[in-house]
Amino acid sequence: MHKKSAAEKVILTLLTVLVIIFFMFPIVWLVTTAFKYGRDAFAIPPKWFLFDWTFKNFQEALDNAATGKFILNSLIISTGATTLSLALGVPAGYAIARTKSRLINLSSYFFLLLLMVPPIAMLIPFYLIMRDVHLLGSYWAVILIDTAFDASFVVWMMRSYFADVPREMEEAAWVDGASRIGAFFKVALPLSIPGVAASALYTFIYSWNDFLFALMLTSPKTKTIPLGILASFSAVEIGWGRMATLSVFAIIPAVIISLFLNRYFVQGLTMGATKG
Amino acid sequence: MQKMKVALYLVLALTLLVGMVGCGPAATEAPAEPPAEEAPTAVPPEATTAPPMEEAKPYEGVELSLASMTDQYVAAFRYLIPVFEEETGIKVVMDELGYVDLRTKTVADFVGDTAQYDLMTVDIVWSGEYGANGYTLALDDFMARDAEEMNLDDIMPVAWTLGEWEGKHYAFPLAGYANVLNYRADLLAEAGIEPPATQEELLAAAQALTKEDGSQYGIALLGAGSAGAQDFMAFVQQHGGTILDADGNVKVNTPENVAILEFFGSLFDYAPPGAADYWWDQRESAFRDGIVAMMEGWSIARAGYENPEISNIVGLVDITKAPVSEGMEPQYGFGGWGIGINADSDPVKQEAAWEFIKWVTSEEVQKEWLRHDGAPIRRSTLTDPELVAEYPWLPLMLESFEKGNGDYRPRFPQYSIVEDALGTYVNAFLTGQETAQDALDKAQTQIEANMP
Amino acid sequence: MTQSFTKTMRRFITNDGSYLLLALPLLIFVVVIAIYPLFFSFRISLFDYRLTDPNQTQTFVGFGNYLRAFTDEVITNSVKATLVYVAGTVVVEILLGLGMALLLSAETRIAQIIRSFLLIPMALPPLVVGLVWKSLYNVDFGIIPYYLAQLGIDLGRGPLSELHLAMPSIILVDVWEWTPLVMILFLAGIKSLPTEPYEAATVDGASRLQSFWYLTLPLLKPTFLVVLLLRTMQSFKVFDTIYATTAGGPGTLTTVLNYQIYKVGLTFFDMGYAAALANILLVIVAILSILYIMVLERQQL
Repeated sequence: MHKKSAAEKVILTLLTVLVIIFFMFPIVWLVTTAFKYGRDAFAIPPKWFLFDWTFKNFQEALDNAATGKFILNSLIISTGATTLSLALGVPAGYAIARTKSRLINLSSYFFLLLLMVPPIAMLIPFYLIMRDVHLLGSYWAVILIDTAFDASFVVWMMRSYFADVPREMEEAAWVDGASRIGAFFKVALPLSIPGVAASALYTFIYSWNDFLFALMLTSPKTKTIPLGILASFSAVEIGWGRMATLSVFAIIPAVIISLFLNRYFVQGLTMGATKG
Repeated sequence: MQKMKVALYLVLALTLLVGMVGCGPAATEAPAEPPAEEAPTAVPPEATTAPPMEEAKPYEGVELSLASMTDQYVAAFRYLIPVFEEETGIKVVMDELGYVDLRTKTVADFVGDTAQYDLMTVDIVWSGEYGANGYTLALDDFMARDAEEMNLDDIMPVAWTLGEWEGKHYAFPLAGYANVLNYRADLLAEAGIEPPATQEELLAAAQALTKEDGSQYGIALLGAGSAGAQDFMAFVQQHGGTILDADGNVKVNTPENVAILEFFGSLFDYAPPGAADYWWDQRESAFRDGIVAMMEGWSIARAGYENPEISNIVGLVDITKAPVSEGMEPQYGFGGWGIGINADSDPVKQEAAWEFIKWVTSEEVQKEWLRHDGAPIRRSTLTDPELVAEYPWLPLMLESFEKGNGDYRPRFPQYSIVEDALGTYVNAFLTGQETAQDALDKAQTQIEANMP
Repeated sequence: MTQSFTKTMRRFITNDGSYLLLALPLLIFVVVIAIYPLFFSFRISLFDYRLTDPNQTQTFVGFGNYLRAFTDEVITNSVKATLVYVAGTVVVEILLGLGMALLLSAETRIAQIIRSFLLIPMALPPLVVGLVWKSLYNVDFGIIPYYLAQLGIDLGRGPLSELHLAMPSIILVDVWEWTPLVMILFLAGIKSLPTEPYEAATVDGASRLQSFWYLTLPLLKPTFLVVLLLRTMQSFKVFDTIYATTAGGPGTLTTVLNYQIYKVGLTFFDMGYAAALANILLVIVAILSILYIMVLERQQL
């Protein structure tokens, strides 16, 4: 291997620093703005760290009954969609990975295609259908449409995961008299917990971050955090402080997953995208 | 594996914790204390006047959902709703929404027949659509029944345009706004400029008050989306123009309107650089920040300039009638909000909602409404000596209301199609994408294509 | 004959039958929740159907809504805007993502930590991303125009309102959000490269630039294709960040097709036309998706 010269090292370090600054400054701005009084938020020149830190915005957000409701609704919808997607998607992923039937096998591409459908194209008819069955505004409306996308992802992801799990143990279970389905639950599933976890993270984040579906399908009682963030803007003033504070609540899962569970998240991303 | 499990539990615990912290205050619901306010009269308005009534709470336990625009008056709702709940036992849950979202969500509620909202604030420009499509309940039966206690003659005639459509009332007047000219008395005096009385003087003053170095601009305007469309229509009105032809059809691309759009564009030369992108919040922030000398706008924002928490220009602002084009019979833009009842709501809720409307628009409550950033609709409020002493600009508003024109933005059912097209193409002109003629031609084409 | 048939049947029941049973709940769910709406969408696209019409009449207009789309200037503009947006984001992200993958491919602790921080943007709610950038771009109070002004660069009406800046500005938001994903996919690609050709190249005295150009790039071709198609399709779906930043402006400059469909369908409730537009978008994306799947298939071999 070539040795890197000193000059090259400096340039590479410099580039790395630039990359870090570019990707991190908006997040730093967001988080610090949540701790600023209005006058510091609009200060020119900008104040990055030396300003009067305050919990005023958080105090106000927590005093407002709506904030808790938004977070709770987001949790209900994300948890609901994740649970349903796993319950439907994991067995289907297993079936596709193990079957010799060409038809079932082909259905994996069908799920992949579904994953590509632009959300707005699905939302227009879905809105009308939900209206006709009187589910508009319920948690179910959002959970169901989220699951259509989430579950398709889970199938695609779990299919490649199960394909990497050796069959021998399942075959041994068959010999011991277990059914195909029994072997899935007793043998294959426990071996694939990391894959399930990666799928769960991805689907949770997807539902948590959703804005378009929630915008059209929720009611004032089932509103999620992104909609709450949007309402922090008024005709009276630019509501950066309120927006930043609610956003801090909204980004908690993203930050936790990125920093502490990144291995599984990355696995989900790369597998979902590339493994055939 | 183990590490991941631990981490997963951590996530779960954290989300639960966040959820719980967030939910804590939810249990206590309405804020126990009214928000801080300038006026010292924190006594609930009717606590002293209303005699204790035995059968007073016929709708106790009914829960109403109110969709409110996050305009200034939302602060008055926040303050008054607990008082109303205390008095009547009716619970009012308010959902605060921005302008665009309020329209999207309420119209979605109407067309979906979901009755998610029982009460909604209705912008003057939506009243035709809501009335013609039967989205909100015609209030005439209620009004006839309770006319005596409501003193309807006290309501300013122009305020009825807030909810009237083809002879019926689909929203009750809630907050009347007059289009006025706010200006920085200090800056104008310093430059030796009289407050402009005509549009031509306005342009000249804007030019004179703009400093080369970018430290001060002549005028703040609205340039984007609904806000830009509405500001343009306000200028059309002030130049004596109209966007309708003699038969009442939309005709935005007349030579007169093209000239007015060009005038509107020339004002932007003396506005802050970002103005082409301004909605109401940014325009207000720019004016209160102190970088702008003049601003035409709704009278409801006036009180905010005296609030040191949000304003750098306390004591420096004066207000005058919105200038009209030279030689034109003065006529002032009137706007604001009505409050409507969802036609799909349960009849009991509709009755309870009517109680709320009656209460919040009553003479006594209107005083507190005004003191908490609400806007007046009654002559008695505008002429109340006590209030006039507190808010010296009320007589000017009264005058503007009396010569008010609430129809300069056509309130017909297709208004939002017109507003959307104008918003897009006025902005396209302001940002240099289209000439004034092309912009209005394209707006016209777009309007015709989208009309049913 | 009968014997082999029962045998096949039994095999089917224990094997494929069981598997079908495992996959069935999802298949039913997807048909009801996703496929049916898409058919329904096709049906309403043939009608003039406005929810704001008090009588809720549905008038059959055949392909009228589709024809209207082809003559609607806003739509032709939005198709153009969409293509510019997609091309811009994908090209910049691939170049930047590849560069970052090479820069941060070392398996050192510090590189790992940096990489995990870089995951944050793409895990954030896109709406929040849009609102944050809108604030940063604010020409009066935002920090980006401020620092650029310090450097002597005047942004005029601001990044989101100047005609030549608006599109690059929203592309930059997408670049910020999604380049880390591209980086990760390239990292995975780089990790799976064989080592022998490089050793041979070093022996032959090839420079690092040469081995990058003649070895790494060709070997990464499959990754390039996957990234290209994946990001193209995702880029077509953009909505939240546009909604939060430009709302389609200045004028109609950044009104991408998705945003226009939203406006037609869910603010004017002109459902028939919106469904027709959505179906046009669907066809564009479906063609890309099938290409993507073909690439994935080829790669497996």
